[in-house]
Amino acid sequence: MARETMKVIGKAIPVMEARDKVTGRTVYVDDMKAELFVKILGSPHAHARVKSIDTSRAKKLAGVEAIMTYKEVAHRLIPFGRYQSCSAMDEHLRHVGDYVAAVAATSEAIAEQALELIDVDYEVLPAVFDPEEAAKPTAPKIYPEGNVRGPSLQEWGDINKGFAEADVVVEDNFDVTPQMHSAMETHVCMARWQGDELTIWCATQTPWELRGMVAYFFEIPESKVTVLSPNIGGGFGGKYVGKYQVVTCLLSKMAGGRSTKLTFTREEDNCYLRRPRGKIYAKVGARKDGTITALQLRGYFDIGAYERHYATWCSSLSYGTISYKTENARFESYSVYTNHFHAQAMRSVSAPFFTFPIEQVIDEVAEKLGLDPVEIRLKNMPETGDFVPATPYVNNSGGCKRAKLDIYPGRQMIQQVVEAIDWKRKWKGFGKPAAINGAKRRGIGLAYMMEHCGYCWESVATIQVIVNRDGSAIVHSGAQEIGQGINTTLRMLAAESLGISFEDVAIVTADTRTGQYDAIGAKASHQLATHGHLLLRAVEEAKQKIRNLVAPVFNAKPEEIEIKGKEAYIKGHPEGAKPLRDLLSTAVTGSAAGAPGNWLPDVKPGFRPYQPVVLAAEVEVDIETGVVKPIKLVPGMFPRRMINSAVVRGQAIGGAVMTLGMSLWEEVKYDEEASTYLSRDFTDYKIPRALDIPEIENVLLEEVDETIPPHEGLPYGGGGLGELTCWGGPAAIANAIYNATGVRIKRSPLTAEVVLEALDKEATK
Amino acid sequence: MLVKAIATRKTVKLVVNGKEHILDIGANETLADVLRVKLNLTGTKIGCNRGECGACTVLINGIPTLSCLTLAIECEEKEILTIEGLGNPETGELDPIQEAFVENFGVQCGFCTPGMIMSVKALLNKNPNPSEEEIKEGIQGNLCRCTGYTQIIESIQAASRKIGRR
Repeated sequence: MARETMKVIGKAIPVMEARDKVTGRTVYVDDMKAELFVKILGSPHAHARVKSIDTSRAKKLAGVEAIMTYKEVAHRLIPFGRYQSCSAMDEHLRHVGDYVAAVAATSEAIAEQALELIDVDYEVLPAVFDPEEAAKPTAPKIYPEGNVRGPSLQEWGDINKGFAEADVVVEDNFDVTPQMHSAMETHVCMARWQGDELTIWCATQTPWELRGMVAYFFEIPESKVTVLSPNIGGGFGGKYVGKYQVVTCLLSKMAGGRSTKLTFTREEDNCYLRRPRGKIYAKVGARKDGTITALQLRGYFDIGAYERHYATWCSSLSYGTISYKTENARFESYSVYTNHFHAQAMRSVSAPFFTFPIEQVIDEVAEKLGLDPVEIRLKNMPETGDFVPATPYVNNSGGCKRAKLDIYPGRQMIQQVVEAIDWKRKWKGFGKPAAINGAKRRGIGLAYMMEHCGYCWESVATIQVIVNRDGSAIVHSGAQEIGQGINTTLRMLAAESLGISFEDVAIVTADTRTGQYDAIGAKASHQLATHGHLLLRAVEEAKQKIRNLVAPVFNAKPEEIEIKGKEAYIKGHPEGAKPLRDLLSTAVTGSAAGAPGNWLPDVKPGFRPYQPVVLAAEVEVDIETGVVKPIKLVPGMFPRRMINSAVVRGQAIGGAVMTLGMSLWEEVKYDEEASTYLSRDFTDYKIPRALDIPEIENVLLEEVDETIPPHEGLPYGGGGLGELTCWGGPAAIANAIYNATGVRIKRSPLTAEVVLEALDKEATK
Repeated sequence: MLVKAIATRKTVKLVVNGKEHILDIGANETLADVLRVKLNLTGTKIGCNRGECGACTVLINGIPTLSCLTLAIECEEKEILTIEGLGNPETGELDPIQEAFVENFGVQCGFCTPGMIMSVKALLNKNPNPSEEEIKEGIQGNLCRCTGYTQIIESIQAASRKIGRR
């Protein structure tokens, strides 16, 4: 449908929750009152075994209502998504802060006092933190079966042949350190039992997974568990399921069903979840003309003690690796358990691990060949209709599907991005700064990647729309609002497809009793594609039911009837329209669910909706202090069609600033001697503040296939976008630093200390 | 850090959003806790409870203050303004700053929003027409992880224009 004929889509409609949020009326979980407060005793050791634990002194403290240790949950494994199952508590402690005991008490102060009265005797075990060290057979074992998962292997063509054909081969190694989610609201959960029925209020991106997890743990039917998750103070991949929710529910049960609430302190939150750390070996070969003949990566990922979900699985790997149309490539990754707190998904979780090495090595190749960074990327960038990868897989442990690109405006994007950063004027060559002012050197850098953001995972979700007698509508949805505006976006889609106003649509969500499902929750930016697609199919079903009901009134066949704007009429004759109010005696419901197993469907047979993403950065490096000041960022992205233009822009800028934080300031620091994390607060884990923000100019490209009906493929052609700008900072800024100083930084974040050390090392060469 | 219950208590008169409250308050209770728990004014958020994130910002005698680092007993007789006291709670009319945040997408998850808006209230009271740099300085103590600040800055500029027109 052409943009000009659309009434709602493409507009900047304020998000529906904003009014309550600006007045302080929005109720987050920690704003609710519970009868009992939960506190957790964390392990003081990175690796230990509980030899004995005695809670008798704590139990005697007035106000203590329940205490749990591993003894209450022995051998009861919780199935966590894709990877490591674990107990809610275990005598084997695998990281600092791992759960030793938990207390529910009538006040927070009493709960904290009780923790001090728990006597624990630990057997301290040798610990390991580096993923390559932990992968060695001699390393301390974090699990009896060993610490390594993998390799995951994606390979196509013949990698040896590819390198043999190359005129230039560059090899280098990189270390990408973790970033934490750092939502402003810490993790929080409240639980209450009434008889054998459990209600959970939780700030979670995955309410359905949470319901399944606790139903499994307590061996009760899912129908007896209600998860309510109305308002969430930020997620970014950090708020899924965890042991803390089981602990909160169990303590409520032990306390006779009284409500229990666990709110993480900021210190606890900053020692809980993060991206993995990746140590990556990269090798790229190219011909003299810049054609990449072979691309190889090998990575060891520190996934911590209890990694869950898809931190480094193979198909995440694939988007970082099919970006270039090389005929020969090999990507090999090992996920390795360590004694750090665990890794989890985070806003294009794997992308920085592949772009930081690839995009720097591509620049190194370009420098050797005397090519411009833009030129070499344009030379090797696939186009609409190209197969990705270029040749068939010979190893494919991620089960990735080889398909053609449906619409891929990569060239247009890179050209617009470099124009916005004024590349032609500023680029003077590798190691040749754009400007020099005393000790300050200006540089520009570029990073590009192909991403597959916002999969339509239609088999995981259901959705329902109710068309009221007056033609207004209510959507019942299992999509999870976390501030990204999905509720508003779904309302806009329903309004457009019914020909009614945004205000005429309501939405009921964040309550598992609606029965409208999302097995995976707010992950991978899939909710627009999945729920939007299913919603439009549900609307079509409701319309068809209405057509069947009203056709006799018009003496027409159902297919001759148009339903639009609260009215029904014979197609082409709106003058004969009758209000639905006069035609219907009940509300009419439409619903849609994906076919089982149908995930990642093609947008049209054989075609996949990959998206090019480009980030250009300009920085100023102080060569005396190592301080890197961001001057300008230009994130380019391809949302295909913007459903709500201001929401899209908010996601683009928010993601760009998050990757900026990962590039320059955010670093998880651990003191092995003291067995303590140093990055436990916002002074020592520095996320961007307002004064840190440079000029940001977005490049947002729109293009859809108008021949595809809105309810087939992507909804009105709109694609996922929440992660598209959140990956490229470390790569683009490292390239910009090289442009400014001629020194390549191979470890992120690019803090002043790291940059200064690299500059000094180069100077003493 | 372990917080021991301290027996010392005091009866204190707090003036919050123009209303007087006589409260029995422990000497170790923060203003943030008293507002949230005793007065049920949960619009004031606690993001770090150590004065680093600004989510708990309220105005005390017009000055933006971190309520998580302020002892409630120190606020005797002082005028405290929280997010709930902005606009007209009776009619539902919003303060121009609140309106501007809604209209200009200055809100995503919303957790930092009340504290952010209170900092802006203080800023615009003092300087109704701030430059972009002055705006950034005014909200430097308020962390936001969602927006990347740009749409917040645009909201503040819009609020400044709204106030100028009144």
